[in-house]
Amino acid sequence: MNCEVAHERIVLAAYGELADDQIHELDRHLTTCNECRDEREQLLALKTLAGVHSVVEPNANLVARSRMRLEEALDALPPKRWYERWGDAVINNFGRLQAAPVAAALLLVAGIGAGSIGGYEVAQARSAHAAASTARAAVRTTVVPTAPADVASISSIVQQPNSEIVQVRYNEVVPRQVEGTLDDPAIRQLLMMASEDANSAGIRDDSVGLLAAECRAGHSCNPAGIRDALMVALRYDRNEGVREKALKGLESYVSEDMRVRDAVLEALLNDSDPRIRTEAINILEPVEADMTVRQVLSTVATSDQSPQIRNVSRQVLRRVPEFQ
Amino acid sequence: MNGPDRTQERLQARAPEMELIREAQKGSRVAFDALVRQYESQVLRLALHLTGSEHDAEDIYQEAFLKAFRYIGNFRFECSFYTWIYRIVTNLCLDQLRRRKTRKEDQAVLVDHSGDEIDLLASVSDVRSFSNPERELDRKVLGERIQAALGKLTPRERMVFELKHYQGLRLRTIGEMLNTTEETAKNTLFRATKKLRSQLAGLR
Repeated sequence: MNCEVAHERIVLAAYGELADDQIHELDRHLTTCNECRDEREQLLALKTLAGVHSVVEPNANLVARSRMRLEEALDALPPKRWYERWGDAVINNFGRLQAAPVAAALLLVAGIGAGSIGGYEVAQARSAHAAASTARAAVRTTVVPTAPADVASISSIVQQPNSEIVQVRYNEVVPRQVEGTLDDPAIRQLLMMASEDANSAGIRDDSVGLLAAECRAGHSCNPAGIRDALMVALRYDRNEGVREKALKGLESYVSEDMRVRDAVLEALLNDSDPRIRTEAINILEPVEADMTVRQVLSTVATSDQSPQIRNVSRQVLRRVPEFQ
Repeated sequence: MNGPDRTQERLQARAPEMELIREAQKGSRVAFDALVRQYESQVLRLALHLTGSEHDAEDIYQEAFLKAFRYIGNFRFECSFYTWIYRIVTNLCLDQLRRRKTRKEDQAVLVDHSGDEIDLLASVSDVRSFSNPERELDRKVLGERIQAALGKLTPRERMVFELKHYQGLRLRTIGEMLNTTEETAKNTLFRATKKLRSQLAGLR
């Protein structure tokens, strides 16, 4: 092995990237070559030195600040309209290169559709308002939306040069209403979207409640659809009322669906609300004999914060004989 | 050996980051927020160490996750989500490094109390010298000197060294993140270590 190669391998070895047989070869070379041994020492010295500039864990304040700022920015984004989501779904579901031209064409159609629908909606909003403004009122007049909730986002602010006039472009939210039964796929779709509405716990509570009721009644609670939405709500929703409803909705699937079981076990281990953890234990009753369930119950029996929950876990474990 | 942690790990291994991603792709803010929480410390740690500034790290965090939110629809599961996110972050960091004005060359030689030049690498073999309280100031100066040396690397060299030495990633992964080959990443690492050594070998 020549020394140039050895120098490179010394670096790789120092960073754990050298194959075992090459390490052996390198060691043999180093026993005979002073210069390379010195090279290795120098590199190790560099590594030590570099360590003085150590990696620091971000402190909790920095994390919190960053997260808050991100949440604000995300909240300020205009919500995706159905045609944008549809466009996304089209892109996501098609394969890659072959479908690209098709996807592009569809996007174009969607874009044109979006533009015209957007224009149409604005026009609707205008005529719906009692004000005597015309369709281009948003740009010309001083009529402002009566409630901040009507404004989806501000898209530009321009101050006219040499004047006190400021031009603000904004997008409006157009309230709409639709009615139907819970079997109606459009209603279900809307309810699932609502279950992810980060802004309103009340809305999420209502929608998850309805979706959970559907699942309890066994009305086409598909894994890919409502069941998934309930699992996401159980795992990640910040509101305990919503999580509780989601949990109750998943009850009948805990025996047949491993993913539901896992989600419930996670809730039992991690949920901050003791009521939910208790409910999780009740729900796991049909599968008490499952190995993973028993393991989780053993953990909970010793380490849960609530003495009642520890107690209940122990009782459950005693109830079912252990399988060998 | 920690009971609750291992059980949770096992569950999380089965539990789908994939589901979270799919939900986020469909537009779920709740799912996206959960993804953010999984990766935010790592993102901040990297950005903080690279830029040395909490303010800059925050900016990179913001841009990275906003980008992730915007483009999560493009994620095709062809690599891990970890790699995908890191790719976004490293690209932003590279941009940052390129944007920074070149600092004036810090040619000052490191001296000790008696005014003699310190040959840094010679003193490194005695690692105890770093924990000597009398040399606390030296340690601080050392840290700055290293940062200065790192600053002399090209952005890509700096990035590869950071990811390899400080973040402990494998060269193959680094290649993926920087959209290049493992071989290129290796060569970049060699250049970086060579340059750093000549920077830190002490000016005689």
